[in-house]
Amino acid sequence: MRSDSGKPSSIPIKIALALLQAMTLIFVITSVVFAVPPAQAPDGEALFTSKGCIACHTIGGGDLVGPDLSGVTKVRTEEWLTKWLTAPDQMLTSDPDAQALLAQYNNVPMPNLGLKPDEVAALIVYLGGGATTGNTAIGLAAGDATSGKAYFVGDERFENGGPHCISCHSVAGIGALGGGNLGPDLTTSGFVKSDAAFATFMGAPSTLTMGAIWKNTPLTAQEQADLYAFLSKATVTQREPSALLQIALLSVAGAAALIVLAQVYWGKRLRGVRKPMIERTLAAKK
Amino acid sequence: MDIRAHVSMVFHLDKCIGCHTCSIACKNIWTDRKGTEYMWWNNVETKPGTGYPTQWEDQEKYKGGWQRDENGKIHLRLHNRAGGLTNIFYNPALPTMDDYYEPWTYDYENLFNAPEGDDQPTARAVSMITGKPMDSIEAGPNWDDDLGGSPVYASNDVNLDKLTEEEREQLNEIERVVFFYLPRICNHCLNPGCVAACPAGAIYKRGEDGIVLLSQEKCRAWRMCISGCPYKKTYFNWASGKSEKCILCYPRLESGQPPACFHSCVGRIRYLGVLLYDADQIEKRASAPDHELVAAQRDMIMDPFDPAVIAAAKKNKISDAMIASAQNSPVYKFVKKWQIALPLHPDFRTLPMLYYVPPMLPVLAKTKDGNYDVDGLEKEGLPAMLSSLEKARMPIKYMASLFSAGNVPVVEEVYRKLIAVRIFKRAQKVKDYQQAEVDAALAQGKTNAEEVEAIFRLTSLPTYEERFVIPPLGREVAVEAWESPLDRKREAGFGVRNKIAKRKF
Ligand code: SF4
Ligand code: SF4
Repeated sequence: MRSDSGKPSSIPIKIALALLQAMTLIFVITSVVFAVPPAQAPDGEALFTSKGCIACHTIGGGDLVGPDLSGVTKVRTEEWLTKWLTAPDQMLTSDPDAQALLAQYNNVPMPNLGLKPDEVAALIVYLGGGATTGNTAIGLAAGDATSGKAYFVGDERFENGGPHCISCHSVAGIGALGGGNLGPDLTTSGFVKSDAAFATFMGAPSTLTMGAIWKNTPLTAQEQADLYAFLSKATVTQREPSALLQIALLSVAGAAALIVLAQVYWGKRLRGVRKPMIERTLAAKK
Repeated sequence: MDIRAHVSMVFHLDKCIGCHTCSIACKNIWTDRKGTEYMWWNNVETKPGTGYPTQWEDQEKYKGGWQRDENGKIHLRLHNRAGGLTNIFYNPALPTMDDYYEPWTYDYENLFNAPEGDDQPTARAVSMITGKPMDSIEAGPNWDDDLGGSPVYASNDVNLDKLTEEEREQLNEIERVVFFYLPRICNHCLNPGCVAACPAGAIYKRGEDGIVLLSQEKCRAWRMCISGCPYKKTYFNWASGKSEKCILCYPRLESGQPPACFHSCVGRIRYLGVLLYDADQIEKRASAPDHELVAAQRDMIMDPFDPAVIAAAKKNKISDAMIASAQNSPVYKFVKKWQIALPLHPDFRTLPMLYYVPPMLPVLAKTKDGNYDVDGLEKEGLPAMLSSLEKARMPIKYMASLFSAGNVPVVEEVYRKLIAVRIFKRAQKVKDYQQAEVDAALAQGKTNAEEVEAIFRLTSLPTYEERFVIPPLGREVAVEAWESPLDRKREAGFGVRNKIAKRKF
């Protein structure tokens, strides 16, 4: 048994002080040793490729998934562009110009690329500098819609082992239950607006999720062509009403079956003792 | 021999006046929080009656406790392992809120704030669960209180099933109507159904004193304990999402005070003390055939004066102070030495550690010319009024259903001894019995003057120290492992206290 010192909290306080000192020391040492050398100003042209702008945009090469950016600095103020590049997701909730753009480009939102302030500035300088990218669009050979569907739903494996589209995306024409909900529904998506837009984007997807998924397991040109053939065919403005009805019927029937099953399995459960007892007794007395 | 110590209890039903002070003492301390309004860790029932929750003794419905199969093995009545697994998300044997009762309060504010009008303002009943006004209140935790022979509640007492139609009819005759009180708390059983049913392992029996506790950290709201306990003494707190139960006021015990219901008991019916028992025998004794159950349970309680028992206790690290406390225990005297206290519903086979001295009941009588005529008693060779077991208003079979799994002779023996005490003391004080009658009563009760005197003293004139022999629970030794007991005592008192938080997923 520890003796009673009369100062109940002296030991915890000492430990806390010692810890604090140790932490301060470690902080000082690390900041000296690992002090970062002054950063070089980022290069806008390099960023345009490395950050993936090029997956959706050209400068002077025409629209892809997103608009052609030539002359953008003349149309928008520097302030607007800075806000837009830093946090497009926030702009989309508040700025009417941004919302109009979203509607114009098939509701494909500009993703937040996590750009730092100096990177944003460098990109704006690059965009205003009159440089062009030329036509970066990648053309696609003719594809086969049937094997495109097989790729989409997972009947056919991708050569490089990438995941099947259906895990995250839904599209019309693959059955009543559709596909996943994590990614956008591709039925009306701007990504499949033209083969050039699709292929350019899929060549090096710039969004956080797609980029991470496809970096190491890219699609082959033929796979892209087949998928495009399928997706462009599946592109209808709406899901068929019959498919929606099918889902509704399936859910109702499933729920009903479960309820019946539970009633059978738990039919003998306790449903109350007092009320039935009173009813029984009063009935017997009559 | 695996000797362990158990803080055990005796309730002397002859002394209970049905005042519910015990229930209120408990409620004020432990169950006045949100979600616990409907819980009565201590409740007092009028018997015959259906109790709280309604007909809790009917295990055909509630599936509590243990069941003995043809091979003499016991199983939880609720489910086997496979059944437990398939029902884990949906326990089919839970009492409904209505079987307890919907707790309510009154809108007292309205008495002060109501706008002036032609009528007196009223305080409407408001549900403490939904917060909405309740138009009719149909049930409460002691709904049939004091209503001997009530046609709905009293007549549906499950223990009456053992009586003949004629006996049941008699219970309703005026001048024969009878009732008594049965205060109930968790029995802190030796073979608890609640512990066995819990899939989360949240309920445990404290090693040092046998108190059954329900961990608020480990409870995962499966609510199997609520079905598993045949006494319906674990309750689900709908606000915290955890089950709760009587803790035998362990924080009070650890500081040397009796539990609040014991301390406040107006009738002084409650006794608390240590029993030493042999844990090796639990399974065997709990599996005994019905008619042997009371004897089996008495057998596993060990004599604290026996040197072999003391040696075995010491081997199990039971302290000298604990052994001394066991030697002094009033519970040991009532249960084992005098054998006049019986477990409630031993047929549930949980080996409850709360024992009851059954109540003496008035005898059958008819009024003739304005006087009681206790007819036929003299024919039995017994003095009238206090003595006849055969003429007791409440058939002994009913008592046997409550206290001895239907074994009538066991209960009769208890009563004969209690009757001997009465006759002996009455002969002493009122002097209206002959010595021969007293001797006959002593012989029938298989007792002697010395024992009768001792029973009388502990029943009628016990001091606080005689009623509550609280052992030093040695919590300071238990917490020593992780902190200084002296710091602990000064800063927080003994016990382990952690904040209870809902689990985050
Ligand atoms: S009476 Fe108490 S210890 Fe016994 S089974 Fe019920 S809750 Fe558990
Ligand atoms: S306080 Fe005592 S006398 Fe009163 S009801 Fe409770 S047990 Fe009976």
